[in-house]
Amino acid sequence: MRLSVPLVAALALIAVPAAAQSVDQRLDALDARITRLEDMNAIERLQKTYGYFVDEGQWTRLSELFADDATLEIGGKGLFLGKARVLEYMQTAFGAEGAKDNVLAQHMQFQPVPDISPDGKTAWVRSRAFVMSNAGWGLPLYENEYRKGDDGIWRISRLSGPFTMYTNWDGWGKNALNNTWPDKFDPPPDLPPTTVYLTYPAYYIIPFHYPNPVTGHAFVPDTGQVGAYHRPPGTAEQEQSLKVGRLADGTQPIAEPPKD
Amino acid sequence: MRLLLIAAIAFSAAALPVPAFAQQSPEARLASYRERVERLEDQDAIENLQAYYGYYFDKGLWGEVADLFTDGGTFEYGQRGVYVGKDRIRRALLLFGPEGLSPGYLNNHMQLQSIITVAPDGKTATARWQGMVMLSAPGADGVWGVGQYENAYVKERGVWKISKLHFYVQAMADYDLGFSRGPLRMEGQSALFPPDRPPTEVYRAFPSGYTPPFSFVHPVTGEPLPVQQPADDIARPK
Repeated sequence: MRLSVPLVAALALIAVPAAAQSVDQRLDALDARITRLEDMNAIERLQKTYGYFVDEGQWTRLSELFADDATLEIGGKGLFLGKARVLEYMQTAFGAEGAKDNVLAQHMQFQPVPDISPDGKTAWVRSRAFVMSNAGWGLPLYENEYRKGDDGIWRISRLSGPFTMYTNWDGWGKNALNNTWPDKFDPPPDLPPTTVYLTYPAYYIIPFHYPNPVTGHAFVPDTGQVGAYHRPPGTAEQEQSLKVGRLADGTQPIAEPPKD
Repeated sequence: MRLLLIAAIAFSAAALPVPAFAQQSPEARLASYRERVERLEDQDAIENLQAYYGYYFDKGLWGEVADLFTDGGTFEYGQRGVYVGKDRIRRALLLFGPEGLSPGYLNNHMQLQSIITVAPDGKTATARWQGMVMLSAPGADGVWGVGQYENAYVKERGVWKISKLHFYVQAMADYDLGFSRGPLRMEGQSALFPPDRPPTEVYRAFPSGYTPPFSFVHPVTGEPLPVQQPADDIARPK
């Protein structure tokens, strides 16, 4: 370690206290590293708890995982603003509180990539759910944000859950739901979807909150192809698919849901 | 070293404005950090322990499975009842197939989505797990399944062991038919090798709704999570 001139001067003036400060600084650094591990645990725990509450229809408890001003966006349904609307969305779209006969909706949560901001106040997780339900199979992805409150407690501040693939029991080789949209079921969202895209067999890459961990380079998905190509990239078929029922930027008008 | 640190702190306290938590001695801070790291290590050890359990269970390595339990540990799977103690557990596991299984068996029990709560003293812990299940047996159709574990663990002489394993089967179904058309009932208590105790909770799997109780507290409110089960004509009439 190179010592700066002011630090050397300080050392000369108050040799022992400077040494003490250095011990405290080292302990501070240790504290910060332990806190970071605890914080990553805390946000992973939030996300896993979210999954268990979805499984069991624990909607009020689920909404309490969110910050008051949180946003939620799942599939192509649009944006819901605030904890109260998160609760309304869940209760209206997915039924009464608690387990119900004839309903199986396991949203198994795994593969988290957690990151904490340098100031320890904001965090992100990219993770996935594997949905195993009475209706079939589903693959939501999450790219969520979390905030640590003044009370030291982490909450979900943004839940972004785009769908990769949804199908019934026939399997994705035979059947695929292309996405949800704002007026497909109640309640209506506060804002339209941030991005309109189609699910499998179309293709959409939600941006990553992190750069490539080895190269350090951020991967920026090509928005011109968002949700649009369900044909091999660069082929005439894909070019054609970009223009069918979608806007020039590759998105699809939300007023005209796909006819399935 | 310790004397030097104490002297240094004493000097700095006199000479400089001290941040609030620096008033703790370095020894006290280190002790507190050691505890926090130990709790993280405990959590990690339990996560691995449950993973070991899953990998042994998948392959019918019943002896290895039983050895993960404490001497008085309990094993409970669906409605089969409670088996107490390593020897009883080892034998009860044969109800799932022969030791080491055999060709035609698939017994995958994935151990996912852990929520581990380690007691402040680091001696006991509880955890919930998501258990995705894929099964096959010679001459039988494939089976999909899912359920949750609510387990307890004890640290004995520095080694974490399973003191209670309870897999709440939530749904099992025929591979081709799926949950809606081909739900399967849970196995009951074995007549061949009856359990030591009846099931701790009586319920039916899908299509009946049932929520395995939560061992953890709400991560934001800190409140416990009691559950209201839907009515069941036989087990829980209105």
